[in-house]
Amino acid sequence: MAEIFVLAEHRQGQLRDITFEMLTKAREIAEKTNAGLTTVLLGKNVRELAKTLAEYSPKVLLVEDGKLENFNSEAYQKVLSHLITQRKPVLTIIGHTSYGVELAPRLAAALNVPLATDCIDFGFEGEAFTVTRQMYGGKVNAKAVLRKSESYMVTVRQAAFQAQKPSVPINGQIEEIPSPLTEEITSKRFLEYVLPPPGGVDITAADVLVGIGRGIKDQSNIPMVEELAKSLGGVLACSRPIVDKGWLPSDRQVGTSGKTVKPKLYLALGISGAFQHVLGMKNSDLIIAVNKDPKAPIFSFSDYGVVEDLFKIVPVLKNKINELKAQKSS
Amino acid sequence: MQFKLTEEQMEIKRAAREFAEKEFTPELALEYDRKEEFPFELYRKAAKLGFTSMRIPEEYGGQGYGVLEECLVVEEFCRVDPGLGVAVSLGNLMVPDVLLKHGSEKQREKYIPPLAKGEKIAAAAFTEPEHGSDITKLDTTAVKVGNEWVINGSKQFITNAPIADTFIILCQTDPNATPPHRGQSLFLAEKGMPGLEATKLQGKMGIRPCVTGSLALSDLHVPEENLVGELNKGFYYALELFDGTRITVAAQAVGIAQGAFEKALAYAKTRKQFGQPIINFQGISFKLAEMAMKIEAARLLTYKAAWIYDHEKPSPAATSMAKAYASRVAMEVTDEAIQIFGGYGYLADYHVERFHRCAKITEIYEGTSEIQKLTIVNFLQKQS
Amino acid sequence: MDIIVCVKHVPETAEAELKIDATGKGIEKSGLVFDINEWDDYALEEAVRIKEKFGGTVTAITVGSEDSDSTLRKCLARGADKAIRLTDPKFAGSDAYATAKILYNAIKNMRFDIILTGAQAGDDGSAVVGPVLAEFLKIPHATMVKKIEFADGKAIVNRELEGGLEERLEVKLPALFTIQTGINEPRYVSIMGIRKAMQKEIKVMGLADIGLGENEVGEAGSWLTIERLYVPPVEKQAEFLTGSPDEIASKIVEILKSKGLI
Repeated sequence: MAEIFVLAEHRQGQLRDITFEMLTKAREIAEKTNAGLTTVLLGKNVRELAKTLAEYSPKVLLVEDGKLENFNSEAYQKVLSHLITQRKPVLTIIGHTSYGVELAPRLAAALNVPLATDCIDFGFEGEAFTVTRQMYGGKVNAKAVLRKSESYMVTVRQAAFQAQKPSVPINGQIEEIPSPLTEEITSKRFLEYVLPPPGGVDITAADVLVGIGRGIKDQSNIPMVEELAKSLGGVLACSRPIVDKGWLPSDRQVGTSGKTVKPKLYLALGISGAFQHVLGMKNSDLIIAVNKDPKAPIFSFSDYGVVEDLFKIVPVLKNKINELKAQKSS
Repeated sequence: MQFKLTEEQMEIKRAAREFAEKEFTPELALEYDRKEEFPFELYRKAAKLGFTSMRIPEEYGGQGYGVLEECLVVEEFCRVDPGLGVAVSLGNLMVPDVLLKHGSEKQREKYIPPLAKGEKIAAAAFTEPEHGSDITKLDTTAVKVGNEWVINGSKQFITNAPIADTFIILCQTDPNATPPHRGQSLFLAEKGMPGLEATKLQGKMGIRPCVTGSLALSDLHVPEENLVGELNKGFYYALELFDGTRITVAAQAVGIAQGAFEKALAYAKTRKQFGQPIINFQGISFKLAEMAMKIEAARLLTYKAAWIYDHEKPSPAATSMAKAYASRVAMEVTDEAIQIFGGYGYLADYHVERFHRCAKITEIYEGTSEIQKLTIVNFLQKQS
Repeated sequence: MDIIVCVKHVPETAEAELKIDATGKGIEKSGLVFDINEWDDYALEEAVRIKEKFGGTVTAITVGSEDSDSTLRKCLARGADKAIRLTDPKFAGSDAYATAKILYNAIKNMRFDIILTGAQAGDDGSAVVGPVLAEFLKIPHATMVKKIEFADGKAIVNRELEGGLEERLEVKLPALFTIQTGINEPRYVSIMGIRKAMQKEIKVMGLADIGLGENEVGEAGSWLTIERLYVPPVEKQAEFLTGSPDEIASKIVEILKSKGLI
């Protein structure tokens, strides 16, 4: 029977959400194509995680080795090359995460298995294996086909699929595989995790967030939006470019490489809505977006949209809120 | 014949555009328009990247390009914001130019490199309260006393006067010369010299980040070696300078027009009235077509004048045609841009009114449009 | 330190309105401004900074048409010493995998200590070329790098993980790093830089020069072939608030009031 591999992703003893998202999609494909679903778990002392995975996957391949304690793409590549060569899965699914990006392209090239990255959908269509992925910062979707092969590989965008528990309980079998790693990996070594500097503002705790993006244009405009945030009783958050430019500290960043937030109000100013940012804020209770581009993707995730220059809206809005507050207090 | 910039010129244009678009933010432009202050930090940044010393040779710390390349920078700067653009591009106005043509090697070595690097700022003092378009006779005099010249008089509408470190001052050195302009000479002076006092003029209509002032000169002593070139040749040196600088004013005008036009075009595409974008109405779209046409014509005249200056000998007529035409186009295009914006165009926050205010100066300074026409007529009269 | 930087000439699409072209497989390019890929911009800057600190050379290399010269010129003007453009009609349709192959064949005989690429490109967003190139060259790599330091023939790099976390890795040289945005502040192109850049030559090489066969590049040599592009379906559409800025602000205030937010 054909087999589908899902690479379980975990860090610091925790399975990551992407694992369950991938498993949900993989189960769907396995059912459709009558293939077996196998989750591959690499690590050290991760038997507990394997047990959890067995609730989602009929088979879990577990490879434990001290050399797999922390993620190292070279160690992972060796083990996965071994497993894929031996078991010849028709499809290997990996997360399009910082780990997957490090691992998948090189693994695919080494095995000469066609790969499509950052997929938001994929599956077998007759003889072909097709994927859907985004281009131009999410403004365009591309339907593409992978070169015909015995085996395919994809990396999957985070949150592209909603993780679901299997409808029927699965009591999967855990198969332990001896580690094929014979020697230390010396060309690349994990040293440590680096935490973001402490002492900043905790944007995940705020009820009101004013998020700013590229549209803010210049650092000198930040006090203006900061005042608006204050009037609203909230704090400033931002998308990636603002942190890249050093205009706000990284603890203000919302999105996949920053924080995930769920405030009562998210006011997005000059944010186009790249998926990396959207993933961090789309579950906010109320989203209002101001952007000059009527086609900005942010409007597809907002409750209310304003197509206008933020510099024309912010001062007026701030005055109105302040007036209202002054009326109430008097 | 080729109507095409070289690859190098395209790169210069692109670099200037990138710098201006990132640095001349609309908010900064509004702030400096309000404050009427010279943007020192921006000037130094631009200077460090070479944008302010295009025509200064490399040996004096400049870039060694011609007027055309300078025009490309000026145009791109003014396209993003005329106020900041003009201020930044006029920081070392005229002084390096005149010293390169007529200064002594000592003068060049002393004065040009700090100006090229943006460490110092220059001013050229020709105009007087009573002598604007007509500087053939000056009230400011320089009298030789021992091995010094003693200067007395006053100058008006001098770009950079309140912030300049280095001045060139046009003086009447022979009051009895006939005609009187044959008795004028240029002198170098420096900030801090006793008898040299600058006063800032406030409330200009446009180009407000470019500071302007008057000079009061009372017993200003300058050493003999500060005379530029030959005695009594100052008037001719000044006119010669205008052949080049007037082309850069034309480039300012082209940039201003282009910037306002692009704003109006974008607005016309998005602003909806009567259920459709206003560009769908010929009343608006024909305006835009006219604007585009005029700008293109002004640009061609400007580039041609620059090309002639760089490759042949300076042609006062070509220069004057470019300046008079481009400055008129800047006025017309910015006016129409406001009209397309309607009520919003009348507001500072929509920026086109500032472009219109800034456009006006291009019809006035470095010789009014009327003076340009005199130059053109003078040329026509010599044609057989 | 000899550094090779792989760059790509891409359209700036962040603030542009995109249209699918007549073939249905690409976007309409007219009216779009092309420039160096944003991530590559940081990679180039990092390379130049490393060179300025430790000496050596920077070579910028790209796979693309003649139009890419403006991106290469930009690299030269910003401090690269050499530029190579890999151009051949047969390269058309190459995906990231085939592009990595083309780069590999051009680079394999060159001397280098490190190779830098952008973490991804703004057009296809694959994040594939760098690691695949490293595999072909059999050198270690690290992706999404936010910091590079050097010690005893090794690089210590910070990689970006999720949620603000980073990891530090030790990587033996020669190595390939894909650079994440924000690692530095890319400098402006200066007029002096342009002057220098114009004196340098852009070396152009084609299929035959790098010793690849027709079937190894283009669609034939690729993993992935685009069938069609389409505008993503809208999951949910915001209710648009219209009017003058003043009217819009009033509407926002009303919404906030109704939700008890002010």
